[in-house]
Amino acid sequence: MDDLARARRFRPGPRLVSLLVGGTAAILVLYPIVFLIQASLSVGDPQARPPEAYGLDNFADLPRYGHIFANTVIVAVAATVMAIALGFLMGWILSRTNVPGRGVLEQLMALPYYVTPLMGALAWSLLGSPSGGFVNQLWRAVGGDGHLIDVTTPYGIAWVMALFEGSVAFVMIGAVMKSMDPALEEASQVLGAGRLRTMLRITLPLVLPGVLGATIFVFAEMLGSFSAALVLGLPSRFFVVTTAMYQLVSQYPPQFPRAAAMGVSLFVVMFAMVYVYRRIVRAGSYATITGKAFRARAMDVGGLRWPLLAVSVVYLAIAVVLPVLTLLYASVQRLATVFPRADNFTLANYQTALSLDAVRTALWGSLLLGLGTASIGVLLMGFLAWMIYRSRLPGAGTIEYLLMFPQAVPRLVFAFGMLWAWLIFPIPIYGTLWLLLIAYLTVFMPLGLRTIAGVMLQIDRSLEESAQMCGASWGYRMRTVTMPLLRPGLIAAWLLLFIASVRELGASILLMGPKAKVITPTIVESWFSTSTELTAAMALLQTLAVGVALALLFTVARRAAQHPGE
Amino acid sequence: MSDHEPTSITRRQLLQAGALLAAAPLLGPARPAAAQTPAKSTKVLDFQTGADVAKAEQEGEVVYYGHDGEAGIAALLDGFRKDFPKIKTNYVRLQTGALYAKLTAERSANRFGVDVLQLSDISPAIDFQKKGGYEQYVSPEHSAYKPAYQSTPGGFFTWAGVTFAGIGYNRTKVKPEQAPKAWKDILSPAYKDGISAKLSTSGMQHMQWYTLRKLYGADFWQEFAKQKPKGFDSRAQLFDRLAKGDDRVCALAEYAGYTLFKEKGAEIEFVAPADGLPATPALIGVVNRAPHPEAAKLFVDWALSNRGQAVYQTQTILLYGSVRTDAPPMATGKKLSDFKLLFPADWSDFQASHAAFVKEWNALMGL
Amino acid sequence: MSATPPPAAVRTASIEVRDLVVRYGQVVAVRRVTFSVAAGEHVTLLGPSGCGKTTTLRAIAGLEQPASGEIRIDGTPVFSSSPRIQVPPERRGLSMVFQSYAIWPHMTVFDNVAYGLRVRKMAEPAIAERVQWALDLVQLGSLGTRSASKLSGGQQQRVALARAFVFQPAVLLFDEPLSNLDAKLRAEMRLEIKELQRRLGITSVYVTHDLEEALAISDRIIVMRDGVIEQIGTPSQIYDLPRNTFVADFVGSANLIRGRRRPDLEQDGRIVLETPGGAIVHGTAHGRRLGDDALFSVRTVHLRLARERPAAPVNVWPATVRRRVFQGDFTQYHVEWDGRPLVVRQVATDPVGEGDAVYLTVDPRRCVLLED
Repeated sequence: MDDLARARRFRPGPRLVSLLVGGTAAILVLYPIVFLIQASLSVGDPQARPPEAYGLDNFADLPRYGHIFANTVIVAVAATVMAIALGFLMGWILSRTNVPGRGVLEQLMALPYYVTPLMGALAWSLLGSPSGGFVNQLWRAVGGDGHLIDVTTPYGIAWVMALFEGSVAFVMIGAVMKSMDPALEEASQVLGAGRLRTMLRITLPLVLPGVLGATIFVFAEMLGSFSAALVLGLPSRFFVVTTAMYQLVSQYPPQFPRAAAMGVSLFVVMFAMVYVYRRIVRAGSYATITGKAFRARAMDVGGLRWPLLAVSVVYLAIAVVLPVLTLLYASVQRLATVFPRADNFTLANYQTALSLDAVRTALWGSLLLGLGTASIGVLLMGFLAWMIYRSRLPGAGTIEYLLMFPQAVPRLVFAFGMLWAWLIFPIPIYGTLWLLLIAYLTVFMPLGLRTIAGVMLQIDRSLEESAQMCGASWGYRMRTVTMPLLRPGLIAAWLLLFIASVRELGASILLMGPKAKVITPTIVESWFSTSTELTAAMALLQTLAVGVALALLFTVARRAAQHPGE
Repeated sequence: MSDHEPTSITRRQLLQAGALLAAAPLLGPARPAAAQTPAKSTKVLDFQTGADVAKAEQEGEVVYYGHDGEAGIAALLDGFRKDFPKIKTNYVRLQTGALYAKLTAERSANRFGVDVLQLSDISPAIDFQKKGGYEQYVSPEHSAYKPAYQSTPGGFFTWAGVTFAGIGYNRTKVKPEQAPKAWKDILSPAYKDGISAKLSTSGMQHMQWYTLRKLYGADFWQEFAKQKPKGFDSRAQLFDRLAKGDDRVCALAEYAGYTLFKEKGAEIEFVAPADGLPATPALIGVVNRAPHPEAAKLFVDWALSNRGQAVYQTQTILLYGSVRTDAPPMATGKKLSDFKLLFPADWSDFQASHAAFVKEWNALMGL
Repeated sequence: MSATPPPAAVRTASIEVRDLVVRYGQVVAVRRVTFSVAAGEHVTLLGPSGCGKTTTLRAIAGLEQPASGEIRIDGTPVFSSSPRIQVPPERRGLSMVFQSYAIWPHMTVFDNVAYGLRVRKMAEPAIAERVQWALDLVQLGSLGTRSASKLSGGQQQRVALARAFVFQPAVLLFDEPLSNLDAKLRAEMRLEIKELQRRLGITSVYVTHDLEEALAISDRIIVMRDGVIEQIGTPSQIYDLPRNTFVADFVGSANLIRGRRRPDLEQDGRIVLETPGGAIVHGTAHGRRLGDDALFSVRTVHLRLARERPAAPVNVWPATVRRRVFQGDFTQYHVEWDGRPLVVRQVATDPVGEGDAVYLTVDPRRCVLLED
C-alpha cells in the first residue's frame, strides 16, 4: 500500500507547471497587445507615449481605407484558394498515389518553404514585370508585343503569395491525407468508382476538416503577408493592409494609432477564424490515429502517374528552380537583363555582400536566434499544445485563443507593441538578442502550436493514459511516451520555427539593436537602398548559409543518434 | 577655413529662384557659431575637435543611429574607424520616421544608448531639439558652416550634407526630343502610367511637393495626379525600375541614385531643370546622455570635417553634397554649388505643411 | 492466490464507490453510482454504449475528475468531493488495459512491458526476469525484442495485458479490452483473462458491452444504463433473475409476457398472470413487489417445444411455428402463441417444421417476475 500512502501527499505537479507556462505564454502575447490597444485608442499627439487622450477616432477613421481592406481581402482570398488547391493537389499526389519518385519528391516539397516570400517576390518581379521582366523580354525578343505576364496585378501578387507563403498548406493537408485509412478509398474503387470520382467523393470529404483547418491558417497568413505586396504591389499602386500600415508607421510623424487600429480591427477576423477552427477540431473528425496502426498505402493511378509526376515537377520548377536560377542569374549582373552584354557580368555583388560587416554579424545572429527560437519554441509550444489539447485543465481554451493573437496582427505592427512593452520592462533585455528571442517566440506561437497540435491531435490519448496507469509521473511519461511519439512532429516544428526565425522580417526591423542584428532586414534594406542584384546575392547567401547550417546540424544529430552516448 | 565664394553664388541663385534660401526665419539672426566654441580645441589628424581624443578612445565605441542604407552607413563608419581604429562603431538604421519613433520610445523609457543621430528630415530634428534630446555641442568645425546650415542656436544639429533631385528618364524608352527639360514636362501625357515618384514617407518628396508648389501653384500636383504616378519607398527602387524600363520617367530622381546607376551602365539620363532642384539636408548631432560622450563629439567633428565630408561626397553609395564653405567637388567632379538648389523660404511654414502634404500625396498615390 | 514464480506477495485491494457523479459540461454521464468490489473480486460493468460504464471505470482510474461522491481504494479515499481529494492516477496503485491497446509503437515488446517496472525503479536483472514471466503468462515469451508496432491485434492485446499486470498492481482495470478483436480470438482471450485473473488473484473491474464476455469472466456483474446501476449480481443471478425489462432484454434474449394478476389461481408461492389473449402463465416472484399488472421474463432457451402435449400440470399451451432458423449450436424458432410472436431457442434434437402446430411449455421457476 506504499503507493496509496504516497498518494495522500497531494502534489500540485503538472497543474502548477501548466498554469505557470500557460500564464507566461499568455503574458508574452498579451503584454504587447495591451500597448497596441492603448495606442489604437490614442487620439492626441500620435507620437506621445503614453497617449495624451483616448477615443475611438482611429476606428471611426478606418472606413476611409475601405479600398485597402477590399484589396487585402481579394488578394488573400485568391492566394488562399490557389495555395489550398495546390496544397491539396500536391498532397494527394504525393501521399495517396503511386507517382514515380514519391519519396524524393516529398523531400523536395519542403524546398519552397526555404525560398522566402521576399526571395520569391524578388525573383518573380524579375521574371514578370511588364517591361523589364525576363519572361516578357523573351516574349518581345521572339516577336511578341507588350507583355506576356504581369505579376504586379492583384492576381499576380496572389500567385506569388500562394507559391511562397502557402507552401505550409501542403504540409498540413499532406499530414491529414497520410493518416487516412486507405481502405476507405479502396472501398470506393471496389464499388466501381473511377479514380477521379474516388478523389472527389471520398478523399475530399474525408480530409475536409483538415483542409478547412489549413485554409483558415493559410488565410490568416495571407492577411498578414507583407513581402509580396510590398515588392509587387507598389508598381501597380496596389496597397494591402500590411503595406498601408508600413507606410503609416514609417512616415514622420509615424501614425501609430491609426496603424494600431487597423491591426486591432483584424483581431475580430482572427477571433472568428479560431472559433471556426476549434469547432472543426472539436467535431472530432480530426482524430485519425488510434492504437491501431495501418500502413498508408498508395492508390494505383495507372497511366495517370506520368501526368501527375509532370505536375509535381512543374510545381517544383515554378516554386523553387525558376526563382533561384533567376536570382542567381541576376546576382552576377550589374543590371539584370535577359540578354546582358559581356561586360555586364560581375561578381561585385557577392564581394560587396560578403564584405559587409553587418551581413556577417547579422547572419551569425540569425542562425543563433534560429537555433534558440526553434529549440526553446519546440519545448514551450509542445508543452502548450499538450496543455491545450490534452490536459483538460481549466482555462486551456482561453489560452488557445490568446496565443492565436499574433497570427492576426501583421508582425510589423505587433513589433511596436513589443517595442513599447519591453522597453519599460525592468530587466534590461532591450536591444539584445534576448529581446528578439522573446519576440520570435511570441510571434511564432501560432505557427509552432498549429504544427505540433496537428501531430498531437492524431495521437490517441490512451497512449499517455496507459503510461499514467503504469504509475509514471507526469515528467516521466512526457519524457518516455509523449515526447518520443511526437518526435517526427517536433522535428518538423523545429525546422519550421528555425526557418521562420531566420527569415523573420516584420518584428526584427524594429527590435534590432546596435549589438543585436539579424539578416533578413538587412536584405530588405539592401533592396530599398541599393539594388535588386545585390539583394539577390545576399538572399542567395542567406539561403546557402541556412542550408549549410541545417545540413551540419542534421549530420551531427544523426551521428549522435547512431552512437548514443549513454 | 575661410568663407569661400561658391556658396554665395548658390545663395544668389536660390534667391532668384524665388524660394528664399535655407532658413533665416528658422535659424534666426544667427549668432556666429564660433562664439560658442568651447575653449578647448585640439587638432587631431588634420581637423579640430573639442573632444578629448584619449578619453574617446578609452570609451572605445560610438553608437550611430541613421537613416541611410546599410551599405551607406557602413561606408561612413568604415571611414571613421580607419581614422580611429581604437573606437568600435555600432549602428541602428531605419527610415527616419520609424527611427525617430524608436529613439523617442527608448528615451521615454529612460534608455539611452545613442551617441550620434543623423536624420534626413528637418521636422523630427527640430522636434528632438525642442524635447532637449540633443547635446549642445559646438564643433570647432562649425566655423566652416554658415549659420544657415546649423540649428538655431548652433550646436544641436548641423547639415552633414545635402541631397537633391531632378528628373530622370530611360534613354531607350523616351526619345531625346521627347525628353523632359523643365518641371512642367513631368505633366506631359506622354508619360502617363510610366512615371514614378516617392511615397509620402519621404522627406525629399515633401520638399519637392512644397518647393514646386510654391513655384507653380497648388494645381501643379493635381495635374500630376492625372499621370497615375507610381510611388516607391526608396531611390534605389526608383532607379532600378527606371534602368529596367519599367518606368519611363522618374519625377523625383535623386542625383546620388542617378550616379550610382549610371555607374552600373544603366541607360538613364538626369535632367536638372533650370528652375532649380529641390534639396534636403541630412542633419547630424550629438545626443545627450550619450553612453560615449567624447567619442560622440569626436565623431561629429570628424563627420563635419573635410575628412568626413570627403566620405559623404565621394562614396557613391552616399553622395551627399557638402555645404562646407571650402568643400571640394563630389565624386562626379561637380560641386554642390554647381547646382541650383531649391529650399523652403520659410522653414516653419514648410514644417507646418507636412500634414497637408501627406494627405494630398497619399491620395495621389492611391493609398 | 496462486501466482507462480515472482517474489512479492500478491497485493489486492477493495474498491468502494459511493454516490459517484461525473459530468461533461452540462451532460451528466454518471448519476450517483454506488457499489463496491471486494479484494480479489472480478467485477464487470456491463451496459450499452453511453451508459456510463467506461466513465465510471475512468473515474476509478483517476482519468476523469468526478463532480461529487467518493472513491476508496482499500479504504483510503482517492477521490472525495468533501474533503477535496483527487489522487492522480499514477499514485492510485492501479493498472489498466485499454480498448485501443495503447501499445507504444516506438518501443519493443520488452520495453512496453518493462515500463511499469522501470517507473518503480526496479533493477534491470529483476526487470528482465519479471517481464519474461509476464510474457510467458500471455504466451508471448519469444517476442520480447520485436518492435511493438509489428504485432498483430491479438498480440498487441496480450502485450497490453502483460504490461498491465507485470508490476502487480493492487487493482486491474479493463476498458473493453477485447472489442477490437475478432470473435474467435475474443473467445480465446476471454478464457485467458479469466485464467490470469484467477492465478494472480488481483481485484479487477472490467468494462464491456458484450454479455457473453461478462458472464464468462465475472464474479459479479453490474448492469448500467444512462448513468445509473440497473442491477448488481452474480452472472447467474443477472441471467436468471433479471430485475427489469432493460436487464432482461440486454442480458441475453428474453421474451416478455405481460398480464393481469390472478391471485385466485396462486398457490405454492407462485404468481399467476392472465395475458390479454387469455393464456394463464405461472411464474415466480423471487420476493419482488407486485401490483395488479405484472411482467414475466422468459429466456428463449427455457421455453420448450414439443409435438406431443407434455405432462406438466401448468404452463402448457398450444402454439404454431412460423419460422425456423438453423444457427448451428441451436435452432431458433419464431412461434405464434397467444396471438403474439415468441422466440424459442432449442438444441435441435427433434426438429419441428415451419407451420407445425406444437405445444409450448416452460418451468414456472423460469418465468421471472420483473420489477417494472
